Amino acid sequence: MGAELTRHVKRNLVAYIALLPMAVVVIFAYLGTMAWSVRLSFSSSKLLPRNDFVGIAQYLTLFDTPRWLTSLGNLVIIAFFFLLICFVLGTLLAIFIDQNVRAESLFRTVFLYPYAMSFVVAGLIWQWILNPDLGIQHTMHGLGFSGFVLDWVVNSKMVLYAIILATVWHGSGLVMALILAGLRGVDTEIWRATRIDGIPTWRVYLSIVLPMLRPMIITSLVLLSISIVKMYDVVVAMTNGGPGTASEVPAKFIMDNLFERANIGLATAASTVMLVTVLLVMAPVIYSQYFRKSGRAS
Amino acid sequence: MPQAKSATKRPLTYQEVWGRVGIYAFLGVLALFFLLPLYVMLVTSFKSMDEIRLGLIFSLPQQFSIDAWIKAWTSACTGLECTGLRVGFGNSVKILVPSVIFSILLGAINGYALSFWKVKGANVLFACLLLGSFVPYQVFIYPLVRFYAQTGIYGSLSAIVLTHIIFGMPVMTLLFRNYYSGLPVELFKAARIDGAGFWRIFISIILPMSVPIAIVAVIMQVTAIWNDFLLGLVFAGRENLPMTVQLNNIVNTTTGERAYNVNMAATVLTSLVPLTVYLVSGRWFVRGIASGAVKG
Amino acid sequence: MGMKHMVAVSAIALAAVTGVAKAEEPLKAEVIHWWTSGGESAAIKVFADAFNAAGGQWVDNAVAGGSAARSAAINRIVGGDPSTAALFNTSRQYHEIIGEGLLNDIDAVAAKNNWDKVLPEPIAKAVKVDGKYYAAPVNIHMPLWIWYSVAALNKAGIEKPPETIEQFFAALDKLKAAGITPLALGGQRWQENSLFSAVLTNVGGGKLWKSVYGDKDEAAIRSPEFRKVVETFVSLKPYVDQASPGRNWNDTTALLIKDQAGFQVMGDWAKGEFKQAKKEIGKDYGCIPGLRADSPYVLGGDVFVFPKTDNAEQIKAQHLLVEIMTSPEVQVKFNNLKGSIPIRSDVDVSSLDACAQLGMKIMSDPARQAPDASQMMEESMYGSVQDIVTELWNTPMTVDQAIDRFDKALKG
Repeated sequence: MGAELTRHVKRNLVAYIALLPMAVVVIFAYLGTMAWSVRLSFSSSKLLPRNDFVGIAQYLTLFDTPRWLTSLGNLVIIAFFFLLICFVLGTLLAIFIDQNVRAESLFRTVFLYPYAMSFVVAGLIWQWILNPDLGIQHTMHGLGFSGFVLDWVVNSKMVLYAIILATVWHGSGLVMALILAGLRGVDTEIWRATRIDGIPTWRVYLSIVLPMLRPMIITSLVLLSISIVKMYDVVVAMTNGGPGTASEVPAKFIMDNLFERANIGLATAASTVMLVTVLLVMAPVIYSQYFRKSGRAS
Repeated sequence: MPQAKSATKRPLTYQEVWGRVGIYAFLGVLALFFLLPLYVMLVTSFKSMDEIRLGLIFSLPQQFSIDAWIKAWTSACTGLECTGLRVGFGNSVKILVPSVIFSILLGAINGYALSFWKVKGANVLFACLLLGSFVPYQVFIYPLVRFYAQTGIYGSLSAIVLTHIIFGMPVMTLLFRNYYSGLPVELFKAARIDGAGFWRIFISIILPMSVPIAIVAVIMQVTAIWNDFLLGLVFAGRENLPMTVQLNNIVNTTTGERAYNVNMAATVLTSLVPLTVYLVSGRWFVRGIASGAVKG
Repeated sequence: MGMKHMVAVSAIALAAVTGVAKAEEPLKAEVIHWWTSGGESAAIKVFADAFNAAGGQWVDNAVAGGSAARSAAINRIVGGDPSTAALFNTSRQYHEIIGEGLLNDIDAVAAKNNWDKVLPEPIAKAVKVDGKYYAAPVNIHMPLWIWYSVAALNKAGIEKPPETIEQFFAALDKLKAAGITPLALGGQRWQENSLFSAVLTNVGGGKLWKSVYGDKDEAAIRSPEFRKVVETFVSLKPYVDQASPGRNWNDTTALLIKDQAGFQVMGDWAKGEFKQAKKEIGKDYGCIPGLRADSPYVLGGDVFVFPKTDNAEQIKAQHLLVEIMTSPEVQVKFNNLKGSIPIRSDVDVSSLDACAQLGMKIMSDPARQAPDASQMMEESMYGSVQDIVTELWNTPMTVDQAIDRFDKALKG
C-alpha cells in the first residue's frame, strides 16, 4: 500500500507540485478564514475580534432578528428568478447568436457589455430608469399616458423584481459567453450527422448539444449562485434595502453588522449560516460533479 | 449556426426565411433592452445640469457638451484633491495586469491538473475552494490585513495583487477545470504514451485548446479586478488606490447636488477598459478553435 | 583650487542645504475623512489651509461614505500603517478602539486649552473616556431641525410657522389641501429615523428621549406618552409623497427649495443646500428648532481621532492638528461652511447665520442639551431601533407590535 502510494506520487509528482499554490491558498486563506469566522460566531465580538465564548447566543439573536429572516426570504425569491431568467435568457442568446447571424460580434458585445459595468453602476442606472419621478413612468406621463404606473423601486411588493431586472441585465451576458464558448467547442460533425437523420434543430439542442455542454452549464450556474449569495453592491446602489426592509439581502446584513453596526459576532454567525446553507445546497452538486467520476486519466 | 454554414447556395425555404426573421427580431428586441441603460448614461453625460434638472432622461441633449467628460477626467474632486479620474487610471492598470495574468495562469494550471491528472485529495481541496468563494469578501479582510501586516507587505502593490489572485482562484479554477473536462481525453492519453510530461502536455496541447475559455476568463477577471473597490481601498495603500475609489468618491458624495452628467461620464470612463477588452476579445471568439486544434 | 578641494566644499554646501531642508521639513499629517461634497470639502479645506499655514503639510485622504472611511482607518491601524488622524464618531466603536489601545490621547492639548471649561458638557462627556480626551470634537450638529419653505407655507395660507405640534399638523393639512406635498421625506432608513426622533423629542419631550433611549426604561417605553409618539409618527404617513422611498436627503431638500413641499426634518447641514441655491433664511426658508418650549437640543457632531504612534514627529503633527481644528477662529470659519455650530462657547457668534445663532442660544441652556441617540447605545442596538422605525413606517405594523419590538430591542 505504502509503496504503491509512493509510486503514484512519484509518477504524478509534477502535478502535485503544480497544485501546491492552490493547496496553500485553500488551507491558509480559505479554510483558515472560514474556521476563524466560525470561531468568532461563538464569541461576543463587537468592533474587533474577541476570543471569549458565548455559546450559540449570536445564533439565537440572529434568528430572532426580523431583518435577517426577511433577508433570507428575499434571497430565495431573487435566487429563483435570477437563476432561471439569467440561465434561460443567456442560453437562448448564445444559441441564437450561434445561428451564423450577421453582425455577430455586435450582438455579442451588446449582450455582454453590462457585465463590464460594476454592480454599483448597474444598480444606480436602473434605479434611475425605474424611478417614478425621473424614468420611464415620468416619460410616459409626459407623453400623455397619465395612468401608466412603473413604481417598482418604491413599491415594497415589487422592489425585488426591480433588483432582479438589474441583475439579469448585468449577468445574462456572462451566461451567453460561457455557453457560446461551449457551443464553439462542439464538434461540427454532430450537425452534419443529425441533418442527415432529419432531426429537428431544437431537438438536437435539447437532447444532444446541451447535455454535452453540461460542464459549461454547471460553471455558469455556480458563478450565478456565487453572485447571488454575495449580492450586496447592487442592492445598496439601487434601494439600500428599502423601502423599509423590503429588499434587504443576507450579504448586506453581514456587511452592515461587520462595519456600520460593529457587531462582528452577529455578522460571522450570519455568514456561518450562509456557509452551511451553501454547503447543503452545493454538496450534492459538488459530489456528483467532482467526486463520482474523479480523475479521468492515469 | 452550423446548418447555415454547411448549406450550399440554394435559396432558403419559406420556413427558413421566417426562422431568420424570428432570430433577428429576438436578438434585436433584447439588444434594445440591453442598450437602454448605456443610452441613458451617454445622453446624460452630454447634457448640462440645467437640462438634467428638467428631468427628461431619455431625451437627446439639446446642447451637446463634453464639459462633464473633461471634468470627470481632469478636475472632479476627491476631497481636497481635484485631479479627476486620470490619477487612478495608471494605478488600476498597475494592479490589473499582473493580477489578471497570474490568476488566469494559476487557474489554468489548477484546472489542468485537476481534470487530467490524479492527485490525491485535490478534489477535496477544490471543493473547499469552491465553497470558500461563497463567503463574502468582507469576512476575509481582517485576517488578511493581519497577515499582510505581519509579512510587511500591507498597503503595497504585492498585497493587492496577491489578494486578487486569492479571490480569483475559485472561479478561475472552476472555469478551466470544467472546460477541460469537456475536452476529449484521447489526446492527453496519446501524449502520455508518447512520453510527454506534465508541462509539455500543458503547453503544447492544452493551452492551444484553451482559447475560448481563456477569453471568458480574461473578461471575468478584467471586469472583477478593474471594478473592485473594496479590496483596492483596503490593501493597495494610498499610493496605489485604483480608479474605482475615485469613482466612488465622485459618485457617492454624501451631500450636495449630484452632478449626474459628471457621474455618468465618470462611470463610462471607468468602464472603458473592460469594454475595450470585450470588443477586442470578440475576434478570438470564432467557431472551431477547439475542434480545429483537435484535428490539426 | 584643487579638484579635491572643490568636491569637498560642494559636499559641505550640499550637506548644509539638505540639513536646513531637513530642519524645515514640514510636519506631515495624513487625514482620513469622508467629507467629499462641495460644502464639506470647503469646510475641511479650512482645516487644511490653517494647518499648512502653521508649517504643516496636510495630506488629504478622502473616502466617500462614513463606514467605508472608518473601516479604512481601522484597517490601516491594524495593518500597522496608521494615518495621522481620522474622522470618526463617538459611539461604541470609539470606546472599543480606545479599549484596544489603538488611539493616542490628546490630554496635553486639551489641558492647555482648558477643554473642561470650554466644551459643553455632553460633548466633553462624549469624547472623554476614563478621564482622558481621545478625540477632538470639531462641530455640533443638531440633526432634528424642522425646515420650511416660506413660499409653500404662504401659498397654503399659513400665516406663521408652527410653534406647537397641533399647529404643525394644522399646517400639514392646509398644505395638503393646497396641493403641496406637506412633509418632504427621503425614504431611507436614517431619514425615517430622524423623523421618528423628531417626533420623540417634540411630542414626547426631552425627559422621554432620555428615559427611552438613554435609560432604556421599560416603564417609559410602555408609557402612554411613548405610545402617543408612535401614533403621531404613524399618522404622518399620509403627508408624504409617493416617490419618497430611497430619495436622497438633498434631493428632498430640493423639494423645499423649489417650493414643492412644506416641511422637512433634517440636520443643520441642509442649510448648505439652501445656500447653494441662493436662498435666504427668513425670506425663502426658515428653521424651527422644536415644537415645545422645552424641546431638547440634540447634539450630534463629528470628531477626529488620532491613531496610536510612537513617532515623535507624528505625535507633534497630531497635537498641532488638534490645536488648529479647535482654535476659535478656525472653528467659526469651519462651522459656517459646514452648517454646524462651534464646539466652544467662547467664540464670536456674530458671523454665524440666524439659525446657527438660534441654536447657540438654545444650547447655552444646559437643561435643553441632549445627547444624540447614537451616543446612548451601541451601534448594534441603535441599528435594531432603526430597523423597527423603518418597518413601522413602511409596513402596516401596529402600534402595539412596534412598542413590543422597541422594548425587546432596547433590552439588548
